[in-house]
Amino acid sequence: MATARPVRAMDPYAEQFWTFTLSRELRLQQCSACGKFRWPPGPTCDRCLSDDFAWSPLSGKAKVLSWTTFHRGYFPEYPPPHTVVALELAEGPLFISYPVDVEPSDLRDGMTLELRWIDATDKFGEYNLPVFGPSAARS
Amino acid sequence: MAVSFDRARLAPLKDTVAVVGVGETDYGKDYRGAGGQTVSKGEARYDSYTLASRALKRALDDAGLKKDDIDGLCVGGTLSGERASEQWGLNPRWSGGGDAAQCIIEATLAINAGLCTTVALVYGNAQRSMDTAYGGARVTGGAITSYFYYAPWGMTSQGALYALFFQRHKLLYGTTDEQLGAVAVAFRKHACLNPNAVMQKPLTIQDYLNAPYIAEPLRLNDYCLINDGGVAIIVRRADLARDLKQRPVMVSGFGWSEENVDATQLRPRLKTFYHGAHHDVAAQVYPMAGVTPKDVDVFATYDSFSVHLLASLEGFGFCKEGEAGTFVQGGRIEIGGELPCNTSGGMLSESYMQSWNHQPELVRQLRGGLGNRQVQGAEVAQYVHDVAGKCKSLIYTRGA
Repeated sequence: MATARPVRAMDPYAEQFWTFTLSRELRLQQCSACGKFRWPPGPTCDRCLSDDFAWSPLSGKAKVLSWTTFHRGYFPEYPPPHTVVALELAEGPLFISYPVDVEPSDLRDGMTLELRWIDATDKFGEYNLPVFGPSAARS
Repeated sequence: MAVSFDRARLAPLKDTVAVVGVGETDYGKDYRGAGGQTVSKGEARYDSYTLASRALKRALDDAGLKKDDIDGLCVGGTLSGERASEQWGLNPRWSGGGDAAQCIIEATLAINAGLCTTVALVYGNAQRSMDTAYGGARVTGGAITSYFYYAPWGMTSQGALYALFFQRHKLLYGTTDEQLGAVAVAFRKHACLNPNAVMQKPLTIQDYLNAPYIAEPLRLNDYCLINDGGVAIIVRRADLARDLKQRPVMVSGFGWSEENVDATQLRPRLKTFYHGAHHDVAAQVYPMAGVTPKDVDVFATYDSFSVHLLASLEGFGFCKEGEAGTFVQGGRIEIGGELPCNTSGGMLSESYMQSWNHQPELVRQLRGGLGNRQVQGAEVAQYVHDVAGKCKSLIYTRGA
């Protein structure tokens, strides 16, 4: 059964991003004119203002930039302690997620993590939440 | 940015507007109930207009002006300009709004353009009475997407965003928790010299380290207060500011720059600590005022979190990047030190007035006569505002 998660911020572009997660695909908009990836989803390329884009699949590889552990509960869905990680995706954008199968004390600057999926649901319906764990072959 | 600011147009605006009156509510008294206990969140005692009105009356009295002397109005983000004007019986010829630094800059521009002469800048926030939430499902702050966008991953709260910032600073520069703790300890020391401050109990570095983490590596005392209060500031065209009740405090420099590209991704927050905006503002504010960081006698920074001070000190050139943890040691940022910072106790220990309470404190320091809280010989004061990379700075100087 899908796990309840705090509600997503929804708009037409975010809706498309989350629809891809139903088939466990992590895709971001990539500008067709200049090639820049953007996140969060939106109508135009912030570099060249083109509104042509494709939803390009990502490698799912990311490097750890920073992290924090909540010791106070903010959401019933995430009782403390809950650790959140800031990642730099291989394709460029920074991405907030949470780490799985790794203790916060084992997180390191620049450590490579790989995409995993968590079955999730909120008032907009079921989806899969992209999270990140240690790569099978550690770099 | 391709287009630069115009230093030649900024320069003549120096000292054209003065702060002539300031008023604040009774932060400490209003934080405690009749029996001296801390009032609970959600225990409604005030609304924001009550607090703003009280502060406005006090600022007018401080200036020795009447409300009919006011021809412009700026209100803080929690108030409606229309409702505020109506309550105070004002038909302003010009109005604006936003944070305190933004309002002072905009009022200075409006006065110089000839739209008005005397502007009341007024803020009131009954955030404790209303139990305003800055994290979780009821999070506010719709204008800043990163405050709510990552809720599905359990990530909200401005404190957690600053925790990511400080963790990154630790990783890059080896900054320690003990070093950061010196900020909360210094501001508390200042609050204990300020009878109007909410927090009056001294805080040692051991107390700081013993307090619980909220979003690790940030602890309880790295976070600002949640309290009710109001602030008002009266600014006036400089030639009309002489011979009033108080010595005028001149608006001698200002600057404004926002680092919004990839803001929701947190790129400027985590990659450059918003120093792009800081450097841009520094290049405006110091030359306009004709001073350098070495000339600043008293400093205040937006401090919803202690971490803000590290970012400001590095970004404005008080120390090198990565060295703020060392800089804040040994009493340097305390009254009597080389650069007294947030001398009222700031938002960590005096009152969380979202930039507004820093202005009256800097004004009072430049007027002089603050007793044991006075920074001796203070002539130049700087405020740095940085909320998620929306950066402004003001330099005030002691008027004649």
